[in-house]
Amino acid sequence: MPPSGKAVHAGPDDTLLLQRMADGDEQALGTFYDRWQPLVHGVVLRILRQRDDVEDVVEEAFWQAWRQAGRYQTGRGSVQTWLLTIARSRALDRVRAVTRLREDPIVGENGELVVHLAADGDPSMNTEAAERRSIVIAALADLPAEQREALELGYFGGLSQTEIAERTGQPLGTIKTRMRLAMQKLKTRLQVLREEAS
Amino acid sequence: MTISGMTHEEAREALEALALDALDASEHAAVLAHVQGCAECRLELATLEADVAQLAYAVRPESMSDVQRVRVRGRLLARAAADRSSSSPVMPDTDVRRVPAMAKSSSRQSMWIALAASVVAAVSLASLFQVNRERETIAAAYASAAGDRTATRASLDSLRSAMADRDKLIANLTGPDVAVVTMASAGPQTPSARMFWDQSVNAWTFVAHNLPKPKAGRTYQLWLVTASQKISAGTFSPGANGEAVVRATYALAKDSLAAVAVTDEPEAGSAQPTTVPFIVGMKSAR
Ligand SMILES: [Zn+2]
Repeated sequence: MPPSGKAVHAGPDDTLLLQRMADGDEQALGTFYDRWQPLVHGVVLRILRQRDDVEDVVEEAFWQAWRQAGRYQTGRGSVQTWLLTIARSRALDRVRAVTRLREDPIVGENGELVVHLAADGDPSMNTEAAERRSIVIAALADLPAEQREALELGYFGGLSQTEIAERTGQPLGTIKTRMRLAMQKLKTRLQVLREEAS
Repeated sequence: MTISGMTHEEAREALEALALDALDASEHAAVLAHVQGCAECRLELATLEADVAQLAYAVRPESMSDVQRVRVRGRLLARAAADRSSSSPVMPDTDVRRVPAMAKSSSRQSMWIALAASVVAAVSLASLFQVNRERETIAAAYASAAGDRTATRASLDSLRSAMADRDKLIANLTGPDVAVVTMASAGPQTPSARMFWDQSVNAWTFVAHNLPKPKAGRTYQLWLVTASQKISAGTFSPGANGEAVVRATYALAKDSLAAVAVTDEPEAGSAQPTTVPFIVGMKSAR
């Protein structure tokens, strides 16, 4: 049982783990959890910030993975991405359940982003995840700041376009445009990841 | 923008926001309604959603603290084990792969781990209150034994010593060297037990309640379970009131204890467990 998947290529393994989880093998869940909790925790922490229910949300994300392991389809992206999508959804549920518009700013006074755009390698990521991370970070870094802001307020903040408009003091139409442009650029930059997945 | 009659062009312009789940509720419903009937938009949405999913990688992975990590892992495995045992092979999407014969042939080792996991939810940090109650239980047993002329000197000594252990535990429980394992039973009755491990002197004290009498020719055996071995901590039988106190001295590396378990064994005890444990507990994270 690798403690956190150091430099392990986990692709096929993950699919196998999910299969075992679908078959009711809780040890597979343990391995899966050991491997991916740092990534899941990172995302949940980023969305919930310093809230004390981070731990619960991480648990719920893995619990959902356990329950839905049988529904994962290989053609639709990597297992990690599937898991992270679950994690984000559960974290946003929690954020939205508490308040639609959170008080703590995601973007600082001068518009700087809280996500640190540095592709620092992390030993707890496997090579595949690390590669993905640097591609995504490079793509985000290429976006104009205001587009990136709109994207991140939506993705990490769980805010709707109207809420983002309120938050930033920009017209709704402007936010819509920024979000669209940001996504279109991402689409081009991340194409390489989609090809890998299929 | 009305719910009905959203054109392809209108919907197309909102797909990015839909993929981000950033549309306002009314617009969300309208766009979704269009997408369901439009293959082109469906395809585009799938692509955009895949891209959105990648954004999670921008976040720096960060392991939980050791305490959190172990706690969440324990809860997850406990839930999974309970989930597996409670869900009969009725669920249509899983029954094909849920082969009973395989579960039966799974090794004893994995059964152990599963059982250990299944009670983690019951594990909690020891409270002074709980230890105090145990001391009271033992003290009451001692008082009643002391008043009983047939009680042997040895059994009185044993109880007195157990009380002394408790006193010492009460004194030391907040110290850094004491680990507590709360144990729960897999059986229909509800025996419960706690194992106190004073790591500074390698002393183990096991206190159980509501234990049934072992069958004739059988005894209970206590095990310290590590990742690689199961170490016997001795055999025991509960008293008439179902209480048992077992003390053992065994040096074990601080982090190596995975679980503590009790099995039903032949009277002489066994070198290795021969039955599935009916009481089992995992070390609390602290
Ligand atoms: Zn369309």
